[in-house]
Amino acid sequence: MKNIKKVMAALALIAAVAAWFQASESTRRYLVYIGKQVPYLPYRYFI
Amino acid sequence: MYDYDAVVIGAGLGGLSSAAILARNGFKTLVCENTNHIGGCCSTYEENGYSFDIGASIVELSWIIDELFEKLGRKVSDYIDWIPVDPIYGFLTADGKRFTYPVDPDETRKVITGFSEADGPRWDRFQKLGQSAIREAFGRIMTTPFATFGDAMKVMAKAPSMVKLVKYMGMNFESTLKSFFSSEQVRASMSLQSYFIGLPPALCPGYIAFLAYAEHEGIYYPRGGMVQIPGSIAKIFGEYGGEIRFDTRVKRVLMDGGRAAGVELMDGTQIRSRFVVSNINAKTLYLEHVGRENLPAWAVKAVESYEVSIPAPMIMLGLDTRPDLDAHHTFCYTTIEEMNAIWFEDYASRKLPDRGFMLVSWPTHADPSLAPEGHHCLNMVTFAPYELADGDWDDLKERYLETQLDFLEHRFGLKGIRDHITMARVSTPKDFARMLLHPGGAVYALQNDIMASAFFRPRLRSKAVKGLYLTGASTHFGGGVPPTIGSGIAAGSLMLEDFGRVM
Repeated sequence: MKNIKKVMAALALIAAVAAWFQASESTRRYLVYIGKQVPYLPYRYFI
Repeated sequence: MYDYDAVVIGAGLGGLSSAAILARNGFKTLVCENTNHIGGCCSTYEENGYSFDIGASIVELSWIIDELFEKLGRKVSDYIDWIPVDPIYGFLTADGKRFTYPVDPDETRKVITGFSEADGPRWDRFQKLGQSAIREAFGRIMTTPFATFGDAMKVMAKAPSMVKLVKYMGMNFESTLKSFFSSEQVRASMSLQSYFIGLPPALCPGYIAFLAYAEHEGIYYPRGGMVQIPGSIAKIFGEYGGEIRFDTRVKRVLMDGGRAAGVELMDGTQIRSRFVVSNINAKTLYLEHVGRENLPAWAVKAVESYEVSIPAPMIMLGLDTRPDLDAHHTFCYTTIEEMNAIWFEDYASRKLPDRGFMLVSWPTHADPSLAPEGHHCLNMVTFAPYELADGDWDDLKERYLETQLDFLEHRFGLKGIRDHITMARVSTPKDFARMLLHPGGAVYALQNDIMASAFFRPRLRSKAVKGLYLTGASTHFGGGVPPTIGSGIAAGSLMLEDFGRVM
């Protein structure tokens, strides 16, 4: 079970890296912008 | 002992909508309004016989207003005379082009194929997705409490077109338009919509592009000006026994055992109520009116994390002639690159706008009664920072007015307009903040990016303070006439669920 989780996490990471390199400059700027707000989401979800 | 069942802070569209629903259901309801007029960002300014809208300038998705009136047991046609507006936009470009987008999507298709034959079928695809998004998804979302991930799943189950939009949540507005249209001219002409939620095309979520399609479902202007919408809701509120107090500023929300229990006014008067409804900016509500001392640490962190939306200075012009325009709304536009640069360069460096784009509204095109006979009103709107590097807005009004008139005359070809101006007023972000108490002069309350939308936007029913409900642009679905009325409907349904009906 642990191994499956690790493989899934590695695949998700590879997919994210591949998507990042395929994304246009504009999309990357957008993803960075929304990425900066991710740490606040757990708080925002409950307000 | 309560003075009222509900006290509503602010007579904007969201606050009035939920207040009217409460009054209709027997709740003794008081609305406290800081100014001497109703409507908030959907109101009217009158001078020398001219009536100017001071915010919202058109209505789309009018069936959300129908839904509210139905809940109030009234017919819209008994209160509001809708004037259909067509075309949706006229366009003026810096290189002298002018064209319009009619309401009929097939007519708009003809204009688009004039720029690029290949974009005709792409418009059909865009239109089809936009149509299902508007009819199935956005319509449901706007009037539904959307507080949890589970709520989103429920909506998706009922509106399969939402699933198709998920792809565009990971894309920005610019990339979404690029994935449909090859013509730069077409993409640029549609790009203003991103600023309608207060963000440049690079930072605006892609799915907003489909919200723009809503205008092709029909747009309307209420005879007598935009204030007729809140005016009608306030009238119905009064018919059900509701009370509005003007020039009544709330200082704080009264708390009782961690629960909202009324409000204290600036003059020290305390008004007790079973629950409190807010129609003001959520940051002001939580951090000043409720107070950090009454909030858990996580709630303070959440509220502080939101950015307020961009301000929109407005110029109101009275003219003694008919302007040389083609539509109720004219978009004087530039390239997408420049629209992004305005944000990333000018806005970030707090520059007074001296390039770019503007939206010109011409309300007397639809309703000539808003100006003296033979005269017309124009509203020119741009987006600009609240604090300026060059000085204070109060000192820069004249410079701003002259710069924008230069744009209109020399860049966008409306030569000689200065010779016909009978009056000009500049409403700056500072004026807006002073009048409506919007922090930072924000027109859409909080920034409307995807990380501050849906279940990441302050909830209609506060989780941090019991007995506190939110309406308006700060909460789900954000700014605009249909979304804020939708928030009032959704908050109203939650209050009825929590407190039952009095009658």
